[in-house]
Amino acid sequence: MTLALDTTPRVRRTRVLPGFRLTLGITLAWLSAIVLIPMIALVSRAAGVGFDGLIATATDPRVLASFRITFGASLIAAAINLVFGSLLAWALVRWRFPGRRLLDGFVDLPFALPTAVAGIALTTLWAKHGLLGSIAEAQGWRVAFAPPGIAIALVFIGLPFVVRTVQPVLEELEPELEEAAALLGASRLQTIGRVVLPELIPALLTGFTLAFARAVGEYGSVIFIAGNRPGQTEIVPLLIVTKLEQYDYAGAAALAVLMLAVSFVMLLAINLLQTWATRRHAR
Amino acid sequence: MARPDGDRIVTIEALGLEKRFGAFAALRGVDLKVEPGELLALLGPSGSGKTTLLRTIAGLERADCGQVLYEGIDADTISLRDRRVGFVFQHYALFRHMTIADNIAFGLKVRPRRGRPPRAEIKARVEKLLELVQLQGLGGRFPAQLSGGQRQRVALARALAIEPRVLLLDEPFGALDARVRKELRRWLRRLHEEIHVTTIFVTHDQDEAFELADRVVVMNDGKIEQIGSPAEIYDQPATEFVYEFLGGANRLPCRVEAGVALIAGTRLATDLPRDFSGEAIAFVRPHEIGVTRPNGHLDDLAHVRSILPIGPDARLDLEHQSGHIEALVPREALDAAGIGVGSRCAVRIARARVFRASS
Repeated sequence: MTLALDTTPRVRRTRVLPGFRLTLGITLAWLSAIVLIPMIALVSRAAGVGFDGLIATATDPRVLASFRITFGASLIAAAINLVFGSLLAWALVRWRFPGRRLLDGFVDLPFALPTAVAGIALTTLWAKHGLLGSIAEAQGWRVAFAPPGIAIALVFIGLPFVVRTVQPVLEELEPELEEAAALLGASRLQTIGRVVLPELIPALLTGFTLAFARAVGEYGSVIFIAGNRPGQTEIVPLLIVTKLEQYDYAGAAALAVLMLAVSFVMLLAINLLQTWATRRHAR
Repeated sequence: MARPDGDRIVTIEALGLEKRFGAFAALRGVDLKVEPGELLALLGPSGSGKTTLLRTIAGLERADCGQVLYEGIDADTISLRDRRVGFVFQHYALFRHMTIADNIAFGLKVRPRRGRPPRAEIKARVEKLLELVQLQGLGGRFPAQLSGGQRQRVALARALAIEPRVLLLDEPFGALDARVRKELRRWLRRLHEEIHVTTIFVTHDQDEAFELADRVVVMNDGKIEQIGSPAEIYDQPATEFVYEFLGGANRLPCRVEAGVALIAGTRLATDLPRDFSGEAIAFVRPHEIGVTRPNGHLDDLAHVRSILPIGPDARLDLEHQSGHIEALVPREALDAAGIGVGSRCAVRIARARVFRASS
């Protein structure tokens, strides 16, 4: 009987491929050093204002207005990028035309350009007497030093995120899928709506999320074009910098924590949406 | 699934099709008539143009030259939707984000409102098709949850859902393992007997073509080499290429004098013109070769390199002055003649097909 006991298979928890503990350890240490510890420092700093202080900050009309403008403009910019970024990715993947490589390279420019440079360039372009600004002005539209200007700056810096996430997925998409749909009698619109877009949804959501997250945190390009009028074109990052310049560290930290909380909730929501979309997909 | 109405079974014709992809000529003047209700195989090596021909018939490629006719009507004037082509791709091309049932129903759901069957009818049809392809109860699954063979049957059901006038299959079993391939082959043959829709399939596997098809079209280098029933193609390969492609035959250089060939010491009449003399190539299948005791002649003498018993027969590796010869002879005959490995024997050619040497 003892023999029989000895041969009972034991549940073995070791993994076939080594390195799990090591890689997890490095991952956690790195994440802590780079992301978690600074976040904790931020929160502890913000704790200085106390809970009431936090509420007071959150309900300040100037703060509320800056949150509206930051998150509103970021959402609009991400949505615009979603549409035009996908079209751009589509054109780059599907068609072969002279200068395609060059155009493909331009897409990454917003990654590399110092955002302040982008902000100054955009402001010059869209100011009252600028190249595009004069045209807009003639139509009665104010772009620079107004909310549309903020959105334009955010579109600029967010574009590569959508293009670069959608592009590889489009490249992987077999042309046979579209051919099959067409032979089954689907019109071009039906093919795109029912076959192509559903395949792209996870990538579109990722691109949207990245563009949005980037836009929320953007500072450099926006402050040049926004005009920075309190309550109208003042973004949250600028308000934080203003508080820092007034040596109100706790207030700045409180604002930052609020911003962090809102961003986190929104990103979490998009992530959940994405999980749901992916689950409907092939596993 | 009901038997298709008479008007659905169509004659398809290809007239002088030519198609180039850059410098590569995929089709170089292809004429083909597909009879209503037949099961036709396009057989050839890769790059022979068979898939291009299939895609041109489907309307996925447009020929540079020539016409495709559906029941005598120029196919260019018929939209993809109205052609009602059921197409099955080698890698299935199923819609991954849709369930099996939604995949099958796709062709019905995208119809304009006027021609679209009511929801309940679509559902009933999907059920019937699932049954036809033996996937009852799997309608709620996603493609990724099925095996390769199952996915290919879903692709077939999806193609059949639109009640196609013609069914086109591009290497339908190419991505499957050998056992599943054989099963599906037999199943497709039965299915065709049941629904009798005109079917063209592309394959590079001659067993598949011969086992399934009523007629086989052998293609090479953008042209048709031979069209015929499997038996015709096997018994009378029309060209050197067909012989080579079918494989298994000995390729022996020989000399023709006034229409009579001298092949490894055997004199044989040929189909070549009486007045033809010159170098030629003879194709001889292993079972068309006999061996006897050496008889003193030199030109039919061969050296036995190896003997491999296969049931009642034996496969002989012979070394002849004209080259290497493979023969399949009854083992009894070997024993009677006292031929063993390392011995010498005389080669007798019973039958051969002789082609003029091309260069």
